Amino acid sequence: MMEVTEQFILLQAPNPAAAENGRKLWKKGSFSGLCQTEDGAVCWGECAGSGKTPYRVSIDWTNAQAPVCRCSCPSRQFPCKHALGLMFGMLEKSPFAVEALPQELAEKQAKQAARAAKKAQTAAKPKKTNTAAQKKKLSRQLEGLDMAEKMIGDLLTAGAGTLAGASAQSYDKLAKDLGSCYLTGLQASFARLALTVREIQKAPQGAQRGYAQALNILVALRSTIKKSRVFLQEKLDAGAYSAEDTLLFEALGGVWKLEDLRAIGSVRENARLVQLSFDVSLDPVKKEYVERGWWLDLDTGCIDQTLNYRPLKALKYVKGEDSCFALLEVPLLCLYPGEGNRRIRWESCASRPVTPQEQAALPALAQPGLAQAVKLAKGQFKNTLLPKYMAVLVPVGRLGQVDGALVLEDPAGERLRLRDRAEDGPDHACTARLSMLDVRPGSALFGLLFYDESDRTICLHPYSLVTPEQTARLLF
Amino acid sequence: MNLQPLYDVKSRLEQAAMAGAGLLGEDFRLQRAAEALKPLGAASPVFGKIVQGLEELLAAPAQEQGNRLLDVLALVNAVVYTQGVSTVPGELEPLPDGPRYMTCLPVSYGQLHPLLEALTGTGGGRMGVIQDTWEAHPEFFRDYRVLPALVRGLGESYAELAELNQKILTTQGKAVVPLLKEGLDPEGKREMARRVEVIAALEGAQATPWLLELLPRAKKDVRGAVIAGLGAGPDNAPLLLELVKTERGKSRQAALAALARQDGEAVRAFWAQELETNREAVDCLDGPRPDWASDLLAAGLRERLERALGEDKKLSMEAQAVLRPWCSAAQGKDSPAMLDFWRWVDGPLDALAQASHVADPAILEERVCTCLLNGLCQVGSAPLCQTALELWERDRERPRWIGHAFLAAVLLWEPAAVYETFSPYIQVQQPLARTEGKRLLHEGLLKALGRLHWEERRYVFDYGLSRPISQTLDPRWIGRLTHAVWRKIDGKERKYLPFGHGEVVGGFDRDLCNLANPDDPETCTQLVPYLRRRMEVLASQGSWYTYSRWILRFHGQFHDLLPKVVGKGQQKVYLYYVWQLFQLAFQDGYPPEQLAEGLEAVLASGALRAEDKELGRKAIPHTVVLLRGGRPFPEWSDWWDMR
Repeated sequence: MMEVTEQFILLQAPNPAAAENGRKLWKKGSFSGLCQTEDGAVCWGECAGSGKTPYRVSIDWTNAQAPVCRCSCPSRQFPCKHALGLMFGMLEKSPFAVEALPQELAEKQAKQAARAAKKAQTAAKPKKTNTAAQKKKLSRQLEGLDMAEKMIGDLLTAGAGTLAGASAQSYDKLAKDLGSCYLTGLQASFARLALTVREIQKAPQGAQRGYAQALNILVALRSTIKKSRVFLQEKLDAGAYSAEDTLLFEALGGVWKLEDLRAIGSVRENARLVQLSFDVSLDPVKKEYVERGWWLDLDTGCIDQTLNYRPLKALKYVKGEDSCFALLEVPLLCLYPGEGNRRIRWESCASRPVTPQEQAALPALAQPGLAQAVKLAKGQFKNTLLPKYMAVLVPVGRLGQVDGALVLEDPAGERLRLRDRAEDGPDHACTARLSMLDVRPGSALFGLLFYDESDRTICLHPYSLVTPEQTARLLF
Repeated sequence: MNLQPLYDVKSRLEQAAMAGAGLLGEDFRLQRAAEALKPLGAASPVFGKIVQGLEELLAAPAQEQGNRLLDVLALVNAVVYTQGVSTVPGELEPLPDGPRYMTCLPVSYGQLHPLLEALTGTGGGRMGVIQDTWEAHPEFFRDYRVLPALVRGLGESYAELAELNQKILTTQGKAVVPLLKEGLDPEGKREMARRVEVIAALEGAQATPWLLELLPRAKKDVRGAVIAGLGAGPDNAPLLLELVKTERGKSRQAALAALARQDGEAVRAFWAQELETNREAVDCLDGPRPDWASDLLAAGLRERLERALGEDKKLSMEAQAVLRPWCSAAQGKDSPAMLDFWRWVDGPLDALAQASHVADPAILEERVCTCLLNGLCQVGSAPLCQTALELWERDRERPRWIGHAFLAAVLLWEPAAVYETFSPYIQVQQPLARTEGKRLLHEGLLKALGRLHWEERRYVFDYGLSRPISQTLDPRWIGRLTHAVWRKIDGKERKYLPFGHGEVVGGFDRDLCNLANPDDPETCTQLVPYLRRRMEVLASQGSWYTYSRWILRFHGQFHDLLPKVVGKGQQKVYLYYVWQLFQLAFQDGYPPEQLAEGLEAVLASGALRAEDKELGRKAIPHTVVLLRGGRPFPEWSDWWDMR
């Protein structure tokens, strides 16, 4: 039978409450008729619910890292509390009678296999492009870009500071039209701009940082419009409608599918990933939680990020991510177009504990020194389409204070200020925690390099301390 | 290179973007900034590009200015970022000494975030999260991400929560002290005072040098906490003797509390005088204190009782109330002088009971006797126990000290010896002679037995708080008590609500159930038949739920009695409590068929309150079917959803 751990169950659960409810069901003795196949690949049982008929729940462990949970309950959560309860049963090593796979489950398993095969077949086939529709979409997007450019021009003529109250509402309406031009990315940028202006007006003491933020959004918008117009026009003229490895696609509001990323060859094979940090923030514009994991590729030393979006409206139904302390072996890692810390995703992976040797090797994957890291970051900041921060792993020489401010010195004697990035909000404030850790030479510090407008310095917001023995997370 | 002109241009462009590009032509400050940038433009091509961009911007038609402004700003920003300062000149000083935590727990966001939110957030429900996490995962509180939040939590406006945080912090060891000292404001409010209290509790006498350093700057609440903390240092008496002269209000009270922990002739002399002049000062002598405190309390109590005896007029209730704090402070003290006081007081109490001039002699006697009884429960030192036994031995047939002697014997003797000596005082047959004396002895012993509770695999003494003890009780007590002929004390039956939902039951049965160990089969065998009898006898009082719960606790059967008892009282039955009882019974492994029968009996009794009748008619038969089908007992939400 499959060996499960509590951490594994918690990771499978769509939210902590579902896991807790599953645990309660198991504890309460709601399960009966527990069975498994001889090889332990499938287990099943019945779970009493509020109705007269118990729910039939099963778990197919054919792919041990991504078990297929089935249940006859009407829950929209996957896996449901009944399947999670069954996992808790396995965790407690309860006896499961060995039985032949029931006909119903065998049929479902066969259907699943057929679906997977069909999917693989479909993925292998080149996708047919509806050229007429694509042409129409591109034309519409170009029209939208003109409209956005005019909106920016008008806004700046009147002054971005006027983007509040009734004016903001009319801009919201105009921005919605951008959505119907397939430019949802620009629409969100306008909403973000309006929110920033409102915040400046609400708290004028933070105006300097607010202005810089608002202007960064406007500059990025302007840049996106300019570059996109050229890009889209070229595509339209050339009749090339396939996805391309460019940041602009997402900036305009496009959503990448894994098959598209695979199609453009934006993949890395057999990647070994270790999570360096995890955090959650609320995006008030899109009204969603953004769950972000920072991952270090043990073979390339690249630091990439996973982003899981959970809209507030569908919080219950979208599985939440959590911190991961294991090493993930990913057969095919898909990378989103971009530079610096690219967004990554994968379809399947295997997890195992990080060995002491692997952990000991992590600090060596840091940048050679602070100077190199800062140079990389400055290169990214200049790009108007990229974020004004960069996640880096830097080597530690000494940690100390200069005029009361926390400062990191690398082994070569280069220094950098350590401070919280104000844009991340108070719930990400964690620099002070660093002084509670034993920071020794030979370790590495992971965090975000950013430009602080207030004193025009490049600073590091530390997120984790990576030592040869362990990764001490300042966030989660 | 002086980059100020570049920063000026950036600032002016940002201002213009916020204020409106339409005003660019009139923006002389932008024009001046652009002029100032020209020398840089001549020196470097990238600055030259900015200068050119600015010129084009200012010369552009109004409708183009907005987008051009952003183009120039993008270029300016790019240069500003590349010029971002990353060096930090100056001496790199090491971090201040403090605890370094390298134990990084692999605790995930999902596990840690709710706790951090509860510690740092606002609103209801947070105390439950903290308390539950403290019980389930105390190790989370050692995490360096949690500790600072816990320290900040000392300033929580919800006092109970702040106290819980304080309690948790005092278990974290001295490693948290530097964190508590960091940012401590000696002039701060309660939060800062709590920090000092935690440090003082963790470091004890070792905190003295730090407290002394803090004292001159400490004000208000913090000052009180600092002075109170000085009480742990054995050499602080001279300073505290000075402070009681100079401090006022709460700070003086703190100095008195601290001084009460000190020893020495000067301290004793001070207290002897203070107790004469300050009526409230005696409160400071509560709890474990040096022998001088015990001696002074013994002398003070004796003097006050003698004064009461010597009065010609009636002793007012107010004058009697003065004795209360003295009795409270004397509780558990066992210096030779205090033990002598107990030996002495036995006589005057008889006299007081006879004295007609005392307003209520019984209360005075009760107060003095309860003081010794509480002291035995709270401290129960060997000298105190010996004295209690000695008082009882003077005359074993006197009821005054029998309870004290019993509790002392529980602490000193073997359980069987305690039973054999004291159980005869519990009357199991109506005595034919000397009934009144026997009844008083019986009741005195019942009172003492009520101080013993079985809690989570051990006995505890109840004195308002509870103190676990390692001694146990002979199980034969239960059998004897079930046959006790008197259940009332002083002719009154105390009433209690053991499960807090409206059913009132007698104190005797409650004490008996508290006394019995449900893990002992012999106890259960003796107690269950008694409880079943009581459940039937008291049917008209409507206490079937409470007795069912007790029977369940002692692994007995209650379902067959339900037809005889449910609905026989005045009170109507709440469906929720029916569900709760049967659900608990199901979880305890009660046979489902018998539960089904019990549920049917409840429904058939027609005793459900009117609001619950309809739901009961749906939920109970459904549950009976489930139980008979071998299914689990439904949740309350399942019943409720059937409305």
